[in-house]
This record gives sequence, C-alpha cells and structure tokens, in this order.
Amino acid sequence: MSGLVALEDCIMQKDMPITVGSKILDGFVSPVNATIVNRLMDSGYEIAGKTAMDEFCVPSFFDESGEALDAIQVVSEGRAQYALSNDVFGKYRKQAAENGCCYIRPTYGTVSRFGLVQSVSSMDQIGVVCKNLSDGFALLSKIAGRDSKDGAMFSEENYSYAASVKDIRVGVPKSLSDFGLAENFRTVDIELEYFDVYRQVMYILCCAELGNNISRYDGIKFGYRAPDFRGINDLYTKTRSEGFGANVKLAAIMGAMVLSQDWYTPYYEKAMKIRRLIKESLRFDDYDVIAMPCQISENPYENLSLFAPAALAGLPSVSFPHNGKGIQLIANVKREDLLLSAWEVCK
Amino acid sequence: MKYETVMGLEVHVELATETKLFCSCSAKFGADANENVCPACCGMPGTPPVTNKKAVELALAAALVTNSKITPVMTFDKKNYFYPDLPSGCQITQLFAPICRDGWVEIETSEGRRKITLAQIHIEEDAGKLVHDNRIGASLVDFNRTSVPLVEIVSNPDFRTAEEVVAYLEKLRVLLSFAGVSDCKMQEGSMRCDVNISVREKGSSELGTRTEIKNMNSLKAIASAIAFESGRQINALETGSEALVQETRRWDDNIGETFSMREKEGVADYRYFPNPEIMPIEIDDAWISYVRENLPEPAHDKFIRLTEKLGLSDYDSNIIIGSKNLADIFDGTLKHFDNPKEVVNWIIVELLSIAKGDNKGEDDIKIDCRKFAKIMELVDNKTINRAVAKKLLLLVWKDGIDPEQYVEENQLGMVNDTGLIEKTIKDVLVEQASSVEQYKAGNTKLFNFLVGQVMKKLAGKADPKAINELLAKHLE
Repeated sequence: MSGLVALEDCIMQKDMPITVGSKILDGFVSPVNATIVNRLMDSGYEIAGKTAMDEFCVPSFFDESGEALDAIQVVSEGRAQYALSNDVFGKYRKQAAENGCCYIRPTYGTVSRFGLVQSVSSMDQIGVVCKNLSDGFALLSKIAGRDSKDGAMFSEENYSYAASVKDIRVGVPKSLSDFGLAENFRTVDIELEYFDVYRQVMYILCCAELGNNISRYDGIKFGYRAPDFRGINDLYTKTRSEGFGANVKLAAIMGAMVLSQDWYTPYYEKAMKIRRLIKESLRFDDYDVIAMPCQISENPYENLSLFAPAALAGLPSVSFPHNGKGIQLIANVKREDLLLSAWEVCK
Repeated sequence: MKYETVMGLEVHVELATETKLFCSCSAKFGADANENVCPACCGMPGTPPVTNKKAVELALAAALVTNSKITPVMTFDKKNYFYPDLPSGCQITQLFAPICRDGWVEIETSEGRRKITLAQIHIEEDAGKLVHDNRIGASLVDFNRTSVPLVEIVSNPDFRTAEEVVAYLEKLRVLLSFAGVSDCKMQEGSMRCDVNISVREKGSSELGTRTEIKNMNSLKAIASAIAFESGRQINALETGSEALVQETRRWDDNIGETFSMREKEGVADYRYFPNPEIMPIEIDDAWISYVRENLPEPAHDKFIRLTEKLGLSDYDSNIIIGSKNLADIFDGTLKHFDNPKEVVNWIIVELLSIAKGDNKGEDDIKIDCRKFAKIMELVDNKTINRAVAKKLLLLVWKDGIDPEQYVEENQLGMVNDTGLIEKTIKDVLVEQASSVEQYKAGNTKLFNFLVGQVMKKLAGKADPKAINELLAKHLE
C-alpha cells in the first residue's frame, strides 16, 4: 500500500504541534502518535501533513462559507490521495460528494481514537476522504481494528471490506429527494421515525459532550494561557474567553445548560432516550442500506438531520457524487460491505 | 438527654492496585511530585480512558464483604467542576449505576451488636494534590494521585454515637484490608472519612439541618469532631445563638473545632452525565464467583482458625487479626516455624515493642518472616538463648541481618558445655564469697544476682536454665 495521507489537525503526530483549529491549544505539541498514524506508516502510507479544520469539528450552524474544507481541497486537487478526518456533523460527507470525492465514516468503535483529540466522544469517528471507495476501504482495512489504548471499541482485531452482495435493497425516505436509484436497485419506500427531531437530539448531545471535553483546557497545564490574570478564576475565564471561538463557546454554553440540574431531565436525558429510540427505529429489516441526500436546505442546521442518524446510532455511512448530486448511504453496524457493494453498482 | 445525634458516613478507600484507574501509571504512594503521570492522567487530549479491570475486581470484593447487591451492568459518569487539581475538568465517578447498593456491616459496641446499612458503593478516580508554596508565592500541583482508584462507601444515616462511628470504621478497615481491597491507612490518606451530622429531639423522626465534616485523619480526630459538632448544633438549637445551615465544615485538629468552609459561589452544580468514553461494564455471575473464590481468608475466619484450630487465646488472636499486616506476618512466619503459640508470643511481646520504639504501628511493620522464624528455630533447638535471640531480632529489624550467619560469625551460640559452666560457677562463688554467705544466711534474692554474674562471665551466651540448675546444686 502506498499513498500520501493528509491528517486533519485533530489527529496526533508525536512531537508535532496540534491545534484542533483552536487558539486554546496554542503551543501544544502532541505527546503521542495516534494509533492510526503508526498503523498507516507500518502499512507503507506516507503522512502528507495536517489540514485545517473547524475548531473542535464544530461548524457554524447559521451560515456555511463557500470555501471547501482543507481536507477536501487537498484530495480533490490531488495534493494527497487521502485525508483522514473526524466528521461528526456531516460537513465532510457533504463537501466530499460536492467536490468529486468520496467519504467513508466507518462503524463507531472500529477505528482507534487514541491520539484523536476528543470533540463529541460518543460520535467521534475517524473517517476517510478519498477519490474512490475501493481505495478508501483498502486504507481503512489497515487502520481499523481493536486497540488496547481505546477502551470503547469492538473486539475484532481486523476488518476487511469487500463488495460481495449483489442484490441490494435500498431504503429511500419518502419525504427526501429521489436519486433515480430504482434503475439499479430494488428500492423500498421507508419513513424515518423521529426525523423531525434528529438535529435537535444531535445538537443537545454534542453540546453536552463537547462542553465537557473542552473543560480540560483551562490554562493551567498546557496550551494557551491568558497573559494577565488575577487569581485562579480570572485565569480560567480569560484563558477560555480568549482561547475559544464563537461556535465552540456557544456549544459549551448550551452543553452546560442541558446538563445543569434544572435542564438535565427535559433536555439531556430526553435526548438520550430519543437517541435510543432512533437506534431502535433503524432496523435494516426490509432494506439493506438507507439512501439520503447530502443537502435539503441552505441552512446547515437543517442539513444536520441528514448526517445525524449515522452519528447517533454509530452506523457506517459513505457519501459520493451520483447523477450530479451528493448521495449518502447508511448501513447497519459493521456492514460496510453493503456500502461498498452499492457504490460499485452506482459507479 | 433531650437530643440525639444522627450521622451518615462517606468513606473513601484507595484501592490497592498497581496502576491507576484509567491509565497504566503506577498508583504507588510516596513518589516524587509528578513522577507517576502520563498524558492521560494529566488530562491531555487524545488519550481515552481504559478501565483497570483489577480495580473493578477489588471494588467487587468490597461489595461482597459488605453484603451489597451488585449492579448487573454498571456505568461510569462524569462530574464536572473546575479546580487545578482536576486536570480534565471533570472527575470520572459513578452516579447512575454504581457497582453496588444496599449492603450492610455489623458492628459491635458497648450497647451490643447492630447492623449499619449502606446506601451504595461507587468507584471513582482520585484528584491530584495542591501544594501551596509561600516561598515562591504560588500553588503547585502534583498529579501523582490523579486517577488513582477509590471506592466511596456511603452509609445511610444510621449512626447515633461516635462509638458506633469508630466501631464501623474499624470494622471496615478489617473487612477491606483482609479482602485485599486496600491497606486502609488513615494517616496516608488511603482511608478517609466525611461525616454528615445533624441533631434532633429524641423521638423525632424528622432529620435536622445537617453539616458535613471533612479533614479528619484519625479515629481520635473523628470522635473529637463529632463531639464538638453535635455540641455546637445542640447549643445552637437550645440558645438560638446561631442559625444552623447546611454546609461543609472543616475539622481543625489543633484548635479542636469545626469551621465553616462556606464557598462564595453558592451550591455547586456538578452537571453529572454518563461518560460516553467508557462502555457499560457487565458484571455477570461468573465474574462475581471468580472474585468470591479468590477472596483471601476473612478476618473472622482467621479468628476461628487461630482460636479453634491453633489453640490460641481470644486475646492474642484479636491482636493478630486487628491488623491485616500482623496477620500476614503471623501466617508468613508460621509457614517456616510451625509453633503458633511461640510465633504469637514473639509477635506480641517482642516485635510489637520494637516497632513501638520506632514509632511504627501494626500496619507499618515490615519483617522478613523467614528470618523471624529462623530466630525462633535457633532458640528452639538450643543454638542460642532467648536474650541473644532478642538482640538478633533487633538486628534483623534494623539492618536485615541473616540470623544464622550472624550467630556463627559472632560466636553467639549457646554455651552448652556443662564443664565450662561449672568451672565458671566455681570462680564466681569464690569471687562473690560475701554474697554467697548472705545467701546462705537466708537472703535468697541473691540467687539471681549470682546467676547474672555467671552469665556475664559467659558473655550472655549460656542457657540460663542450665546455670540455674548447676548453681542450685553448688549452693546446697
């Protein structure tokens, strides 16, 4: 295996600076190699460098800038064959398909997160930007598999991904767009229960976990520290006020709110319950994969609903261009083979 | 008395693991500042927690010896607060599904036996330590203790007297140390206790306003703090001198009073939530049986063995099982010298007094059991006498000498040569002619003086029994 691999700046390379797109990690140097970095190098891939990112993976949910993410540009322009990133909110899936690339978000818990800076722990998942899915899955097979340094993984040591299934049943949510998939697949009309609250549930849980994960950045031990402060509380306040950007601050404030005594039950706990219902509702009984568009609105928050199910239920998903539009396919846990098979047909 | 005191205890016990709860750093006490740290326990990003299975098993052992109901699927949660000794801004603990609930511990006081019921036991990680350095005008933080595994044992408000509290803590110490859960040393902080205390009129079923007392590091301090605090609360109720508020109070052992630790910011909201980085842990029957079968002999069983099988007195046995360390020394020595009575005597009479001279408690005694047993063996086979043996024990204690080798090198072997002893006795009788006369005149006390003189000439190495017999014969 060979090829240049760009790393999103949330993946650690020992002795290299890492920013996660934030001033708060100013001057911080990675103390370790991410497990996947070691695995890539052991497999003959070369690290091309780091790509810029939204601070702690959090995009603006109010407006989307025209410019593509660094990792997408790097691959679409051919400066690297692959880019690895943590696509929590779906921006990579969307932009890859819009820019002639593919994106693989594998099953949650199959790729080690040792050396990945945490954003939303229950949804953080390293994925691959690539030119075609067969090469992307070939790379993934080299980095996926259990790691004793990540306590929240499946037990399989290795995964191999092969397109094996011929007759794939595609579930197409009625209310969403039509891709003309009926030409190549048996399509099934499905209804996504709870679709209207996907984004709210996801946003509440993401804010809670992100707010907690960034508590460690307090100016005491590493990273940015505000230059002038009086006493410990002032040190915390100034460091964090100056160190975080607006999107992250908003998320952290929302996170503190939904976990606070008064709001835990109506927000966080309710969102957790609905998350479980969403998982249970995606049964993959009379369909093998779900097909979704990558865009239904100009509003990024509305589009979050499209990317929420894979993140909330830990499901594998891929995106790629199809008939001039971006398409996203989602399969059941550890059924990446169905996604690869479906892509082969579409190709 | 018109009032009664109602107390509940929160006891933190450090688990006796080699490594920390979520990383592989050493959990040993007493290292240099920030020696036992890694990116994970320093709160650096990118290092997810990996749960220490041994810690869970020790906590399971704690659950078993406290008769608790074990949770089939336990989870870890996060508790959020900012403090410099907490590097990740949150503590990993258990709120929603702790390892066990509803246990009980039987205590014995002057009022008899009673059960103290436990609300729950949960596993959590310790925080680091702040050191305030006045010379440089700053606070320093040591992360060695960060993420060291603890269990917090939460009792119901079952206690009415300080005696009950002390008996309970003693009982917990014995149960947990014998189960290998922890060494339970209050001075080193591996066992800590917070007391929730309120007073109410006797007969009332309502609970009064409670305070939580912290910072007591001995049983004595706990008893004094309870006495002070209940007195303060009763006084407040009777005289109205101050309004009681629910608060945390710090015990000052030097002044002998509790002081309010009132924080400006009001009631803390810890924003607990399930830890998304740690999968729920299933505790099945097979795992529980495995832990149960591997539990070391409990103190009570040991007591039965010592008294019934080995024929030791209740008094001696109680001293031995009063400390896991002493019990281990007893069993370790017995393995090499199979005379329980003798081993117990050596421990209680000699070893404990040597340790006391060095200001060491039962739990801090360290002795090589093989060497300790060897000394007893040397006495038993009449190689040395008891006085020499005591000196040897002191040398083993201080310098770790090898008793057998030392006896040989310093020719401390007992003088068994009857001819030599008799010759020495004759010399002494001549030298001490006046004492001999007085003895014969009826001053029998002088017999021991004469024995001493003989022993002195023989450099303390003779068998005192032989001298006694021979001297008596010569004085007839």
